[in-house]
Amino acid sequence: MKRVLYLFFIFLLLLPSCQKESPEKVKLHFVTWKPNVPEVWEEIYRRFQQRYPEIELIREIGPHSSTAFHDMLTQKLKNRSPDVDVFLMDVIWPPEFASAGWAMPLDDLFPPEEREEFLEGPIMANTYRGSIYGVPLFIDSGMLFYRKDLLQKYGFKPPETWQELVKQAEVIMEGEKSGGREVYGYSGQFKQYEGLVCNMMEFILSNGGHIIEPDTGKPALSKARAVEAVRFVRDMIIGRIAPRGVLTYQEPESLDIFVQGRVIFHRNWPYAWSVSNDPEKSRIAGRVGVIRLPHFPSGRSYSTLGGWQVGISRYSEHKEEAWLFARFLTSPEIQKLIALKASKAPTRKALYSDPDVLKVNPQFKDMKDVFLRAYPRPRSPLYPAVSHVLQRYFSRVLSETDLDIEREARQVDAEIEKILSMVR
Amino acid sequence: MKGPRKGQALVATLMVLPCSLFVLTFAFYPILYSFWLSLHRIILGLPQLGEPFVGLDNYRDLLHDRVALRATVNTFVFVLSSTALELLLGLIVALVIHRSFTGRGTVRAAVLVPWAIPTVVSSQLWRFIFNDKYGLLNFIIYGGEVSRYKAWLADPFYAFVAIVVADVWKTTSFAALILLAGLQSIPQELYDSARVDGANAWQRFRTITLPMLRPALLVALLFRTMDAFRVFDLVFVMTQGGPADATNVLQFYGYKKMFAEGLMGYGSSISVVVFLLSFSVAMLYMRVIKVGFLQKG
Repeated sequence: MKRVLYLFFIFLLLLPSCQKESPEKVKLHFVTWKPNVPEVWEEIYRRFQQRYPEIELIREIGPHSSTAFHDMLTQKLKNRSPDVDVFLMDVIWPPEFASAGWAMPLDDLFPPEEREEFLEGPIMANTYRGSIYGVPLFIDSGMLFYRKDLLQKYGFKPPETWQELVKQAEVIMEGEKSGGREVYGYSGQFKQYEGLVCNMMEFILSNGGHIIEPDTGKPALSKARAVEAVRFVRDMIIGRIAPRGVLTYQEPESLDIFVQGRVIFHRNWPYAWSVSNDPEKSRIAGRVGVIRLPHFPSGRSYSTLGGWQVGISRYSEHKEEAWLFARFLTSPEIQKLIALKASKAPTRKALYSDPDVLKVNPQFKDMKDVFLRAYPRPRSPLYPAVSHVLQRYFSRVLSETDLDIEREARQVDAEIEKILSMVR
Repeated sequence: MKGPRKGQALVATLMVLPCSLFVLTFAFYPILYSFWLSLHRIILGLPQLGEPFVGLDNYRDLLHDRVALRATVNTFVFVLSSTALELLLGLIVALVIHRSFTGRGTVRAAVLVPWAIPTVVSSQLWRFIFNDKYGLLNFIIYGGEVSRYKAWLADPFYAFVAIVVADVWKTTSFAALILLAGLQSIPQELYDSARVDGANAWQRFRTITLPMLRPALLVALLFRTMDAFRVFDLVFVMTQGGPADATNVLQFYGYKKMFAEGLMGYGSSISVVVFLLSFSVAMLYMRVIKVGFLQKG
């Protein structure tokens, strides 16, 4: 008798937890990364749940690093996991996701007239063989952050060319050192990973070189312009004004030493603006300037196009709800919120003339043409393979200073050509 | 007579069955499947190419892949240097904690701590220790002279050393544990009689401890070598194979090919090579161990 009572008691305990699962609520799985500014995302989820109480949003948090996030997400998509409905895509993934049949084409849901409202570069990046596979959420592009106070102290204007940057950095480093303060000239992202490709591409393109020749589609790293730019980074940037540690830095580490006030020039994405001006996180709040990246005397300034898109899994069982969420995330309202609270540059053109956005992010006004001109990385379903060859090449020639860059570059051109020929 | 024996065989088979099934599903099947995959060209990004059977093409490509060759060399250097150091240090640790002294229990427990920490966590820890700006190593060597701080993980040579050090730190205790068990099986009488014969400490170690410890040493060596061939997490967390591929090992390269580049066939061929390498090493050790035991018996 006692036992029966116990069982009944346990049964009662279990009852409420069973009832909780109301059957009509749709579970929507959103695969995202760990955000830099979590408060904004909490706000976004709150607003979405308020507006669509019939959808239960489940967040699947992936790694912060784009490469690791890619490996996790593609693994799920390859296995047609039901735990993926909506996901974030790095700007370099749409061709791969489209070609592999992972991302659902959005041509009917996201018609051309709506695409007009977005910046052209990100729309291009989401288009593969005539169809569109993602909605741009925010755009990233490389920028040069600098110490306004230090440049003023030594009577410098922000540098136009890389040579000027090196010269200014050397003068300031020398001057500060004699005052007992150790500062470095430059920090960027030079670890063997995707960010290395972004950084190096900016040097190469701003010298009139290319990674892949736009007209012929052939790799061009062994051309004189590209080799010259790489040699400059090895001998003038890393060898002279940057700490050697940059060879191990991704974004957070390189930003760390900047916000500690130990670096004069810093290359990063737009989010560094809000972090370096936040007195809680930065020792140099209010003393930071931002400008487009320098170029070589014969070239013009280039930024690598980065940024994130919202895609929908082809294997999702809730495509309708998935689209509701994707549209909500990329709406003017949410893009504005992200721009205000996380300094992410919007992909909707109209927001660049929004007074609130410009008040918080004065740099967007000057940067608009940089965003418009931001240059995409090679677009190919095999981009990850191309990128690995590039990462390996750049890391090798930057850290082993006695290598013959031109010879290495020729070998790399051949390797990339072999990969690209599989798609042609 | 026949009946009960048959019954016994049946019972034995039944009892071995669950374990065999387990091994078959979780060890043999994946290995065979990897081998099957490695004979195909499978590119996730290009499903329109299908999954054609290409025979040994992937292996042929692997022979001409200079990154793979470099990774193979790295893997071997890693295996040799880390296992050698682990056994040497493990032996010293085992000899120390084998002696009786006050607080031995605590020391024995402390020795095991590194081994109990997940590799991902300990790799992160070592990444911080080797950090160029706030790393402990720099502080110990250069103290407050911040300008002399070295970016260890940015240097191809030191980055490799760092990986070996992190591995040795973590798994020396495992080697020590096995060797300690070996030490405890050596009868005390042998030492006593050696002492009576006037053998000094070194002679006792050379002629009693080392020979008697041989089986334990071989077992530790076997486990450590096979484990070292599979090194992945250390590299993944600490260096991502960089700088300049100096710490790229076969397992990590295979992972990159499969999961990042989506080359399932080619990546599988790398896994198969790693399997064959560690399998042949295991076979070799097994032979040596067998011979060793037979000589004794």
